[in-house]
Amino acid sequence: MALRITDVSKTYQMGVEEVHALQEVSITIEDNEYVAIMGPSGSGKSTMMNVLGCLDTPTSGEYHLAGEDVSKMNDDQLAEIRNQKIGFVFQTFNLIPRASVFHNVELPLVYGGVAPAQRADMTNAAIGKVALEDRKTHKPSELSGGQRQRVAIARALVNNPAIILADEPTGNLDSVTGEEIMAIFDGLHKAGNTIILVTHEKDVAEHASRIIRLKDGRVESDLVTQRPESRFGEVLA
Amino acid sequence: MKAWYDTAESLKIALAAIKANKSRGVLTTLGIVIGILAVVTTMTAANGLGNTFRENISTLGSDVLYVSRRPWVVTGNFFQFRNRKNLELKESKLLERRLRRAVAINPSSNANRSVKYRSNVMEGTTIIGTTDKHMLMTASTPELGRFITSFDVRFKKRVCVIGSEVKAKLFGNADAINKRMKIGRDSYRVIGVMEQQGSAGFFGGPNFDRQVFTPITSFTKSFGHRNRGFNIAVKAPPEVSLADFEYEVIGEMRKIRKLRPAQDDDFSINQMNQLVSAYNNVMGVIVLIGLVITGISLFVGGIGVMNIMFVSVTERTREIGIRKAIGAKRRAILSQFLFESSTICLIGGVVGLVLAFGVTGLISKFLMPASISLPIVAVAIFVSILTGVVSGLIPAFKASKLNPIDALRYE
Ligand SMILES: Nc1ncnc2c1ncn2[C@@H]1O[C@H](COP(=O)(O)OP(=O)(O)OP(=O)(O)O)[C@@H](O)[C@H]1O
Ligand SMILES: [Mg+2]
Repeated sequence: MALRITDVSKTYQMGVEEVHALQEVSITIEDNEYVAIMGPSGSGKSTMMNVLGCLDTPTSGEYHLAGEDVSKMNDDQLAEIRNQKIGFVFQTFNLIPRASVFHNVELPLVYGGVAPAQRADMTNAAIGKVALEDRKTHKPSELSGGQRQRVAIARALVNNPAIILADEPTGNLDSVTGEEIMAIFDGLHKAGNTIILVTHEKDVAEHASRIIRLKDGRVESDLVTQRPESRFGEVLA
Repeated sequence: MKAWYDTAESLKIALAAIKANKSRGVLTTLGIVIGILAVVTTMTAANGLGNTFRENISTLGSDVLYVSRRPWVVTGNFFQFRNRKNLELKESKLLERRLRRAVAINPSSNANRSVKYRSNVMEGTTIIGTTDKHMLMTASTPELGRFITSFDVRFKKRVCVIGSEVKAKLFGNADAINKRMKIGRDSYRVIGVMEQQGSAGFFGGPNFDRQVFTPITSFTKSFGHRNRGFNIAVKAPPEVSLADFEYEVIGEMRKIRKLRPAQDDDFSINQMNQLVSAYNNVMGVIVLIGLVITGISLFVGGIGVMNIMFVSVTERTREIGIRKAIGAKRRAILSQFLFESSTICLIGGVVGLVLAFGVTGLISKFLMPASISLPIVAVAIFVSILTGVVSGLIPAFKASKLNPIDALRYE
């Protein structure tokens, strides 16, 4: 399930002015990679994640996901890709306020057409992975920030997608809670998932085995850390 | 099967949304409530009028042809019948002799006179001179006493049978049988009271409850014979079709009147069906106008629902973004909002229907017998759901087309 974007550009038209959020970016990410995307604010990180997550379509360029040309797909086909192949974790959690934890996590299965009995098993399993069994019936407003992000992660992985994308998943959390969340991502990576996350924090990027830096919509550097133990020294020194 | 799960989800969201915005929903449904109430009441009233009419008209008998100078229902120039001769009593006798197949032939004539009992007066009452055969022509029978007999006719008895309204007006609750009342200047003895026919003599049609029957012989003696027109009722035998029998009657009447082949008929043959179709034409137009007017109120209600649905879509933009981001297809979002709008309208429709049952109760108590039939209920339910779907369509479509990223970013 490799991801490959080729010469992808994203241009926003702001009145007469054009904002080039991404400029001819080409990246390939292989199965089970653990990638951190870094860069200054406004450098195009979120834009790239949205393209990778099939939430947005590039202005030009191609995107191949597991060999399929995603850039040619229509709305409903993209919805199916988002549902089946990708789990997305947002900085602001994006849970449905009126729905319970259980229902929030279950929702991708509902839209994926999974039968109710099987749905309950898969939902419970996902909630188990983020250790929220005792909060199933709570509403998001009744949870702490870290708990909300764990619900969002459970929702992202309930469908067992190969790829987990996370845009600043720890951005709204304190460092201790952030570490808890990163531990979950580490576990998912060990279990074979491809993880791509955006972060501003060195400690968070430290978890990844490859760091892509963006600047002004272009790839500034793309470094692979050979030995996970000494990543920090090698890449950021 | 797969499609089912997100449909159930859509329904759940729709119901939750309505529950969360109750007071807003109540205000919105008001338009639909009024619209459905108006539609149902219109249809029920039309039905009630129709039933009353048919009940009234059944007095005429469906297998009876009425020969008269002018047609009952005139289309075109009314004055074309001006020069026709009146039908005479002797023509009725001739027709009876020639039409051996007829079950019965009954001549009748009518006049307007005041009727009076003691100090109670009823102006402009229709006095009908007829014979005992009248009973063969109609479904209505005397409720009290008896009808005119051949004996009464033969001996020119000054007796009369009165309609229920005449009875009520002149005699109130007192017994009318054998009382002497005045018809015009002459005194008649009441021998019977007809059963009630129906409340409304609408559209200027005859009100059968305001009639007084007398033997045709005493009628002509009291109210004159000269220049008097008669009508001849001919009851068709059961084995021939009314249309075939009508040809026979026309043929015999032409012979009696010695018309040459080139001449038009100078008489008219009427039957109940003509009144029914004339009624249906008039009623069709009235109902159409009623439905257009009530349809407009429903349309206004629908606009209100559309407006609220736009608000609902805007409020839930972020939620739509979330749902799309995790894989909701356009159809799922579309159905979510269509369910919401059609449920709102369905609730409005049901409330409107319940109110309509109340209004119908009042109508049947004070105006005429009316009831809401099952088809009307079905139509009301269908129309309210349809209104919901139609008014929800544009907002739902707008929601389903939202780009997930734009929707997620919406503040
Ligand atoms: N919908 C939009 N319309 C117009 N311009 C946009 C839109 N989305 C992003 N941009 C612009 O594109 C550029 C890249 O934005 P992006 O959100 O990808 O940055 P980022 O790297 O994620 O920044 P941050 O670290 O602050 O989240 C910015 O200059 C931003 O102003
Ligand atoms: Mg960003």
